[in-house]
Amino acid sequence: MSNKKYFGYAGKILTVDLSSSDYVVKDTPFDLIVNFMGGKGFGAKILYDELKPGCDPLSEENIMVVATGPLTGTLMPASGHITLSTKSPLTGIWLDSHCAGFLGPELKMAGYDAIIIKGKAKKPTVLVIKDDGVSFEDGRDIWGKFTFESQELLRKKYGENCQFMCIGPAGERKARFANIVSGGRGFGRGGSGAVMGSKNLKAVVVKGTRGIGIYDLDGFMRICTEAYNELTVSPDTGGGRPKYGTNSIYSFMIEAGAHPIKNFQTGVFKAVKECNEDVLDKKYYKRHIACFSCPINCSKASRVDDGKYKGKFTEGPEYENMWSLGAQCGNSNIGSIIYGEHLCDEYGLDAISTGNVIGFTMECFEKGILSEKQIGFPTNFGNDDAIIKFIKMMAKGEGVGELMSQGVRQMSKELGKGTEKFAMHVKGMEIPAYDPRGAFGMGLAYATSDRGACHLRAWTLGDEILDVRDRMDPFATEFKAELVKNQQDFFAVIQSAVVCLFLNFGLTQRHITRCLQSLTGIKEWKTTEDILKIGERIYNLTRLFSMREGISAKDDTLPQRLLREPTKEGPTKGVVVDLDTMLKEYYLIRHWDREGRPAKEKLIELGLDKYKV
Amino acid sequence: MPIADHKKCTGCRICEIICSIQHHKEMNPKLAMVRINSNWPWEDKVIICRQCKKPKCVEACEYEAIERVDGCLRIDEDKCTACLECVKACPFEGVVVSEITGKPIFCDTCNEEYLCVKWCPHQVLSKT
Ligand code: SF4
Ligand code: SF4
Ligand code: SF4
Repeated sequence: MSNKKYFGYAGKILTVDLSSSDYVVKDTPFDLIVNFMGGKGFGAKILYDELKPGCDPLSEENIMVVATGPLTGTLMPASGHITLSTKSPLTGIWLDSHCAGFLGPELKMAGYDAIIIKGKAKKPTVLVIKDDGVSFEDGRDIWGKFTFESQELLRKKYGENCQFMCIGPAGERKARFANIVSGGRGFGRGGSGAVMGSKNLKAVVVKGTRGIGIYDLDGFMRICTEAYNELTVSPDTGGGRPKYGTNSIYSFMIEAGAHPIKNFQTGVFKAVKECNEDVLDKKYYKRHIACFSCPINCSKASRVDDGKYKGKFTEGPEYENMWSLGAQCGNSNIGSIIYGEHLCDEYGLDAISTGNVIGFTMECFEKGILSEKQIGFPTNFGNDDAIIKFIKMMAKGEGVGELMSQGVRQMSKELGKGTEKFAMHVKGMEIPAYDPRGAFGMGLAYATSDRGACHLRAWTLGDEILDVRDRMDPFATEFKAELVKNQQDFFAVIQSAVVCLFLNFGLTQRHITRCLQSLTGIKEWKTTEDILKIGERIYNLTRLFSMREGISAKDDTLPQRLLREPTKEGPTKGVVVDLDTMLKEYYLIRHWDREGRPAKEKLIELGLDKYKV
Repeated sequence: MPIADHKKCTGCRICEIICSIQHHKEMNPKLAMVRINSNWPWEDKVIICRQCKKPKCVEACEYEAIERVDGCLRIDEDKCTACLECVKACPFEGVVVSEITGKPIFCDTCNEEYLCVKWCPHQVLSKT
């Protein structure tokens, strides 16, 4: 039976203490719902209140909040997502990470809006959450095993149609950007897998049979019908994305010089003829895969049919990994990218950070900063064998792989010799697949993203590159601050509602608002402005969280390479990012002072005044 | 009667969700009369009863628990012992077994409205 108290919600939060193998179940507080909605918002509020400032992210003091939102698991399109918030072992600051697929709906069906995971188990543990209870089970038999194999074994043991969170060998040994896998998807960025590993938690198994109630059935059906229609007619969600997946933008980014090549040394990718979305579609994609309730099916099952990587497969490859294991490493062998992505998932590594670090290592090798002797083999750009070797070495902590797996910031710190100028990260998070010298907005987006360099807190490429009718000048600073701020607030809503961010390419803010209203009937959520205020509240609270961990304006920056080193060829020739101008305007619009601190009045307006700056 | 072209199925479960709304006014795929079985990453298979004229499942049921009501097969949960002989007997892998009761559930065609057919974004399901 569905929960009738709050429509759209399961109505309960489960808190688990791994140290004592204990758990408590409490009602989801109404003021938490009204002010923070769910997902990322729940994470921000709970972590700010409960996490000890300055704690070691890999100690038992760290907390993981795994949360759904009101829209998760509903008929609303693309509602299969779920959020994990914690303190990141890669960056030392705020982290929220999002997983697609089916885990979110299952957690709600098991009766919980969120699970809060605390403490540290004495031995490898599997946490089993079902309708009828919670149990702490021995995980020693699957400790050390790959993520896919582990999930298979768990499925045999706990039944078909379970959903999982599972770490691989990389997470077990607390590699700083280890991920958590769920089916063929995962919580990718920022090292949440290492946090799970540090807690001796190998896997979480979820299975439930409860339903989700609807406040205004007719209204909700109407808006959902409308949403599905809108998604079908949008050229993105109804055209390019279903066909090519996230790679639908690949050629556009290359053409604009916004796809970084060889660790951001250039924006020109000569191999694009053999490595692009059409080749993927014709040669490698075998079928389309969708998450829960998603008509867009951006995911693909790919397999290599011939050559060196014959028989290798992956669910993907995603645009981001086509870059990280491809162009970032000067590599255009799609077979190796498919195999590499599969390996990252199997060992449990974030493929974006993995590829970024490999590109950095290749540049260090070519510049003579790392020798063949130190690495063990030659590793010029374009060497696909080296990429595969590095992934395994990072996962297992072998040789130079141990240092690499600590992230590019730490690696450049230890190597010295000016490497920090081309260590491509912000606040310790490796930069993903867009070069801000080809779209200035992404520079500001990276610099001000709450979890460090990230393309999912604001994604300005739509306005700066893809929008053919109403395109902004990608090399101008004008209006970028406003664009980035508005997206950050709205994306925080999507990530708290919790649905897939790609809805943004087919639906309006009004759609999301109406859907929330008809589903939940919450009176306080009257207008789109009310909803966006929640997003702004969340974004300010994650800022306060990271400031408490020592972040200030000086960290809102980009690597030297993007600010001082113009590329020498292609569409971005001679360009560097004018971050200062955008950043000043951004602080102004946010009502943050010159130190990047939210102003008192802003905090009062958002109801956050009891939180200290 | 609904039939499925598995190859086109993406595994989105919209059919399951809409089925549960139609019959139970809540969103709960576990109550649906259609079920997607995933064989990641290569296949998602649609399990749905196509309402045979000479149903093998009925023949196989020792307890006469499957009966035809208004033209559609229905399970009599009091008679059903969850032996699942019907599952084995169905030539189309069409029997959905409820994870709540452990007993079969048959598609009732939504009074011939076939909402799963209407809502499937990829025309996987069709009525014959
Ligand atoms: S658009 Fe892609 S990631 Fe988003 S819900 Fe659909 S299939 Fe999943
Ligand atoms: S369950 Fe199978 S055998 Fe029985 S009527 Fe349906 S399709 Fe035919
Ligand atoms: S709605 Fe269609 S594509 Fe989606 S799971 Fe059902 S049959 Fe497959």
